[in-house]
Amino acid sequence: MLLSIKALEKRYGGARALGGANIEVAAGSVHGLLGENGAGKSTLIKTLSGLVTPDAGEILIDGKPASIESVRHAEELGFRFIHQELSLVPHFTAVENAFVGRAYPKRGPFIDRAAMARAIAETARDIAPDLPLDVPAARLTTGQKQLVEIIRALIGEPARLVVMDEPTASLSDGEARRLHKAVRRLAERGVAVIFISHRLDEVMEICDRYTVLRNGVTAGAGDVSDIDRPGLVRLMSGREEAELIARPTPARSPVALKVSDLPFGDHGSRISFEIKAGEILGLYGLVGAGRSSLMKIVWGATSHREGTITLEGRALRPGHIGDRIAAGGAYVPEDRRHEGLIVSRTIAENLAIANLKAVRVAPSLPWVGLAALRRRAEEVKAALSVKMGSAFAKPLTLSGGNQQKLLFGRWFGRPIRLLILDEPTRGVDVGAKAEIHAVARRFADEGAAVLMTTSDMDELLALANRVLVLAGGEITAELSGSSLTPARIIDAAFQHQSRKDPAA
Amino acid sequence: MTGFVRRFGTLAALIAIIIAFSIASPDAFGSPSNLINITQQMTLLAIVAIGATVVMAVGEFDLSTASIVSFGGILVVFLFKAGVPAPLACLAVLAAAAVFGAVSGFVVSRFEVLSFIATLAVGTIIGGITFWLCEGATLFGDIPGGFRDIGRGTMLGLPTLTWWLIGVAACAWIILDKVEIGRRLYAIGGNREAARLAGVRIVPNTMFAFIVSAVLSALVGILLTARIGSANPTGGGGYLLSAYAAVFLGMTAFREGEANVPGTLVGAAIIAVIGNGLTILGVSTFLQDIITGTIILAAVLVRRAGKQGA
Repeated sequence: MLLSIKALEKRYGGARALGGANIEVAAGSVHGLLGENGAGKSTLIKTLSGLVTPDAGEILIDGKPASIESVRHAEELGFRFIHQELSLVPHFTAVENAFVGRAYPKRGPFIDRAAMARAIAETARDIAPDLPLDVPAARLTTGQKQLVEIIRALIGEPARLVVMDEPTASLSDGEARRLHKAVRRLAERGVAVIFISHRLDEVMEICDRYTVLRNGVTAGAGDVSDIDRPGLVRLMSGREEAELIARPTPARSPVALKVSDLPFGDHGSRISFEIKAGEILGLYGLVGAGRSSLMKIVWGATSHREGTITLEGRALRPGHIGDRIAAGGAYVPEDRRHEGLIVSRTIAENLAIANLKAVRVAPSLPWVGLAALRRRAEEVKAALSVKMGSAFAKPLTLSGGNQQKLLFGRWFGRPIRLLILDEPTRGVDVGAKAEIHAVARRFADEGAAVLMTTSDMDELLALANRVLVLAGGEITAELSGSSLTPARIIDAAFQHQSRKDPAA
Repeated sequence: MTGFVRRFGTLAALIAIIIAFSIASPDAFGSPSNLINITQQMTLLAIVAIGATVVMAVGEFDLSTASIVSFGGILVVFLFKAGVPAPLACLAVLAAAAVFGAVSGFVVSRFEVLSFIATLAVGTIIGGITFWLCEGATLFGDIPGGFRDIGRGTMLGLPTLTWWLIGVAACAWIILDKVEIGRRLYAIGGNREAARLAGVRIVPNTMFAFIVSAVLSALVGILLTARIGSANPTGGGGYLLSAYAAVFLGMTAFREGEANVPGTLVGAAIIAVIGNGLTILGVSTFLQDIITGTIILAAVLVRRAGKQGA
């Protein structure tokens, strides 16, 4: 075995990322690494690249115990990593990009461009014969950029293991097929490939073996020829069927939010759905399914040309956040640090910024009163049980869960008719998570239509009345009541290529 | 202790510099009349710097300020020569500057152009217009005596220019620290995307900041012309760097790394006091620049060190 990992464990603070992960990868094989969002795939990969030091467990390379000290060390071991976010210099050609950070061939003190071109042309002939090598990376398609990354991984010290993190996530089918060929050729050269993908069909097609992670533990591994698609889904979801009954949809409520024909995803798809007052609609999809950008369109943070959004019969203009706020909208963004908190300002101001009229000294004077700021902060603190000291401290002095509550508190004090939640409890500990769920339910109970997206299956099942599953740019399932089960959700989320299957 | 040093260290430095010069030159520097004179000397720089402070509050730079100072001075004399009455001429100058500020602010916020580049371009355009208006020459003559009084003489025991500074600083402080628009400007400067997602409108608020900066720069051009009785197309050239130096010094005072009006006043005072004191001590102007630059660097480095220690 080129690489064996045994009982690997890793914790981040209180959260367990890996709790006994095993994987065995042989030279010259393509190994599919599968799992839901947050199953521990990234952490496992980071231990291989030297970015993360495991807390426990063994890494064997060629049967000998090893520890990967640094990124440099991983490189020396012949491990190469191709990340989802490609890191090419846009105005460099394939040849120039391939040598960034590698030893340049030299003639005297000068870089030997001819030797560079020769080296790349040789590798490219094997892997991707039709890749243009003398065009700036900015003009290449995403798929071609992936091929450049693969070639780059093979330059310099010989590669023994190439890890590819969802390389086909944003590729067209034709490009994906070209990439599959390149991956197979890589394996034929004796290189081991760890291939992370959410497209089960492609895993079945190009991988020799598979390993499924669930909640940081290896849930199953074996030869791809010995398992079928439903088997993989079962391993990934791992939950008992019908374990939870979802909250019933409030049947008699009127429709509050109506979304019609909004553009969604990269493939020109459209999406329509409705949410009743008091209902929590969960959107589930794999990372990259386009959920966050949809939420931003609904909130008006991104404009759209086609489709309409109405809230309680009022049309919301594309790209006008002010319309949403005026109609009783509220939004809790995905990225607390970059899209939520204004870290240079006080907690009180962070709570007031969306509704400065509430902190005036007198109703007709746009003068911000310190006493009013403090009073509002105290109200939010009491209502959402935020653990904080002074209202005029900076938000980063609070814990992640309490920071997250500030983002809810920002909308507190007005009747909320629409609440948009994008990953409402990311990076929040378990206790605060439950409290935040209670806050979200309270907004719903007070009559808000709640649109939520989360990668956390448990959160989805805990909060949502109804779930829409998104895959490949369309709604692949609408689940509620007894049909709202983890296995149904996972199965629908992995239906990526079924739509091209004429039988489906 | 470190919190205290962080908040008031820059102010303490100003006081220490004043005490040091007063000991070195008790009669000339330390005299009450000289200290009052310094407030007058710092006025024009400080008003430009206050404009820069408002733009920095939204996290942008305005490199057109110096051009607008020159433009304001030239345009007001140009209008006098055309027979426009002084109050109307001044209003016209401020309005023209507001238009330039609005253009800069719009380009920066609507099209997300780097403010460095946008305001450099706008400033270059304004410089061209200025030279065109005056045909490259210094303008003098036809300046009404009543107009000149807004930049010279005293009122209620203080120099007229000092009153201008007090008025502008008070207004700017209220705008940034007391009323709603200030919260919006600082929110944009602190985290533009978060402010936008919370419903703060980026374009009008950013435009407002650039308009304030442009109008204050034009005001300085008018006051400068009133004070010296002529207008030079490069008259504002020196203000850009020292205004931002004052703002950066001010960011080390009172607040943690945010441009703020009281801090900017302290920053401008430090620069003015050093200039005045070194001149009285007979230090050459070259050496003055070297010393001023060194002090700014030291202030920023001290702040850095304080931040890491915290």
